[in-house]
Amino acid sequence: MKSILPSFLTLICLSFVVIGSGRAYCQSTAKTLDEIRAIGIGDQEAAKAAALVSKLNQAKDLTLAQTLRAMKGATPIGRNWLSGIANFKYRADDPQAKGELEKILQDRTQDGEARYKAYVWLTKGNEKLKSELLPTLMEDPSPELRYASIESQIETAKDAVQLQKLLSAARHPSQVVDLIKKLDGVGVKVEQSQHFGFIKRWNLIGPFDHVGVKNFNKVFAVEEDWGANKIQKTYEGKNGKVTWIEFTTEEKDGSVDLAKVFSNEKGCIVYAETEFESPIEGAAEIRLGCINGHKIWVNGELVMSNEVYHSSSQIDQYIEPIQLKKGKNRILMKICQNEQKESWAQRYEYLVRISDATGKAILSN
Amino acid sequence: MQIRTHHFATYLCWGVACLSLHGTSLRAEKNWLQFRGSDFNPVVTGAKLPIEFGGDEKKNIAWRTEIPGRSVGGVIVVDDQIITTTSTGMDQRRIQLLSYSSKTGKQLWEQEFVARGRPFCHPTSANAAPTPASDGENIYAFFSSNDLACVNKNGQLLWYRSLASDFPKAGNDTGMSSSPVVVDGVCIVQVECQGDSFAAGIDTRNGVTLWRIDRPSKANWSSPSSAKSADGKSWVIMHSGSDLLAVSPKDGTVQWKIDIGCSTYSSSLAINNRLFVPAGGMTAFDLSSVGKEPSKLWDENKLSSNPCSPIVLNDRIFAVNKSILVCSDIYTGKVLWQSRIAEGSIWSSPVVVGENLYLFSQDGKCSVVKLGEKQGERLATNNLGEEVLGSPAVVDNAMYVRSVSALWKIAE
Repeated sequence: MKSILPSFLTLICLSFVVIGSGRAYCQSTAKTLDEIRAIGIGDQEAAKAAALVSKLNQAKDLTLAQTLRAMKGATPIGRNWLSGIANFKYRADDPQAKGELEKILQDRTQDGEARYKAYVWLTKGNEKLKSELLPTLMEDPSPELRYASIESQIETAKDAVQLQKLLSAARHPSQVVDLIKKLDGVGVKVEQSQHFGFIKRWNLIGPFDHVGVKNFNKVFAVEEDWGANKIQKTYEGKNGKVTWIEFTTEEKDGSVDLAKVFSNEKGCIVYAETEFESPIEGAAEIRLGCINGHKIWVNGELVMSNEVYHSSSQIDQYIEPIQLKKGKNRILMKICQNEQKESWAQRYEYLVRISDATGKAILSN
Repeated sequence: MQIRTHHFATYLCWGVACLSLHGTSLRAEKNWLQFRGSDFNPVVTGAKLPIEFGGDEKKNIAWRTEIPGRSVGGVIVVDDQIITTTSTGMDQRRIQLLSYSSKTGKQLWEQEFVARGRPFCHPTSANAAPTPASDGENIYAFFSSNDLACVNKNGQLLWYRSLASDFPKAGNDTGMSSSPVVVDGVCIVQVECQGDSFAAGIDTRNGVTLWRIDRPSKANWSSPSSAKSADGKSWVIMHSGSDLLAVSPKDGTVQWKIDIGCSTYSSSLAINNRLFVPAGGMTAFDLSSVGKEPSKLWDENKLSSNPCSPIVLNDRIFAVNKSILVCSDIYTGKVLWQSRIAEGSIWSSPVVVGENLYLFSQDGKCSVVKLGEKQGERLATNNLGEEVLGSPAVVDNAMYVRSVSALWKIAE
């Protein structure tokens, strides 16, 4: 009896140690995951993340599901670190992981990027499951899942009802444009610029001097006066006095063609001013397509600035968050043209709209 | 007279080289670690590749593996792994690094991130445009969106950087394509655009920026390369539409800089103390003086290399200008011959295997050209039937080709 008791007590103690250390290990893994979730930009953060991931790569208790769930609320950089860990954890033939992936995909409160990964892994080599899942994801909060869902139906949708349903769900510009064309093919006219909510009415003034592309950051009087809400009727422009032009674009895509309005002037700046009557108060996005250098101010605040010329242009090329006031919101644009002579470098135009975070148009009252 | 003697020597060397090529193996690549191969001069001797391949009968196609998404970059070969990138999904925002078995074409692993920089590009290009690089241990993948990731040979993530998050104006909506290089434990990227324009050296151990230098604010798609100074120091060579420079890989110190307008597509090549730069056609510099700026040896405007990068075989330099292959003497730049060898657009850089040059056009047709003394003789035009914009890799008697939507192994 004497010889059994110490062994028994030792075993009990050892069990506590093992359970205790196991719990501590789990806590340590969870803490490391949390630290990766918060990783930001810059060198120090990168070095910190590299050390943390090296630690996590050794953690035997970390599962694929834990890693994907940790992406919820993580920073964009943190999500990519977690994505990298998840990819290494993923094994297609793990039945336990499959169940967890299904749960993550179905849970719309989980991170959209994590849910898209779950969807891709679940449907890899399984066209039947893909065709079952995709139609259910048309209104999904994840832009990628919504895009994949619409992409899978766009070719086969033939009648107006189906196409309109898809158009109502679509947010990606290429899909919206495609669907509007298809609807036109079945006799349903949708005005593209109206659907996107492009702002068509502007007051334009220019040209101002931008020879030698030197005045992108110069504060012209019109810019200063607009900030003080005291704009004048005339200003001194590049070639003499200039006055405001009331302009409403008739272009189908909602673009404002400044080359046409200002007779292909080069080395110049044009200001465009408008008021947006918002039906809502709060967060929104301003979305711009522009092949020229530009700045945008909303209610006095600079919200966008890109000094890029003749690189490329498309709908929603530049997206920035803004705060809308209910009622009148003042918008000013500065659009800069350089002096390139190539035939592909003559465009001077923009198209701008206000939307919610998913890209759905917010229309001015 | 001196020039004539020189030419005689050149022809003698050429003849000896050709004889040797017909003999036993001189050097066969075991790895292909970056864009244009491990020493930036994609010449493989001692390897045997089929002259004819592809077509309807899939002749000499060992395997073909479909890859989702799109890539216009080349492949690298690390041990028995063929490594490539792809960009998929909405706006090509999903960026992937993929590894395949060289024997079977079966996928070994994949890594994936979401582009945090601008993913947009011209329809011809892709977010997955740069060719990845490796130091033989780890793999470094760079994308048009300026996302940079490092994984080990098992695909395990070691570090990740979003350079566009650090520098939000870095990007080009036509697409970026400069490939990274790894020199002395530093991964060098050239991010030249109208916004935040820079080159940076990233510590391969942890992704930390060791140095960063400002670069001209103009779009540039050419890739950095490396060279050795006359006293054996490593240099990273880069050029733009307005300059050519060498920097120290460890700290980014500019060793020398020359104001010269260079191609913003093709890349430079340093070999045997000579630097060949796609500028004014082609310009050759002498790198043999210690502590001095390189002196110009010659320039030849007919030896234009655009957008392909130049290639040197023995005493000859080859450049592809659109579909014309131009051959020059490396000592004088004098054009020895030129031949039309292909049709259509060309983006991929050529490789030389033995005495034959292989060049892919965008429509997936590969011209095989015998590099003769007085002309280039087209031996075959092989059709893969898929777009090819990336440059091939040649290892162990096989050529690995990345078409925009598949990976191919070509071997007898």
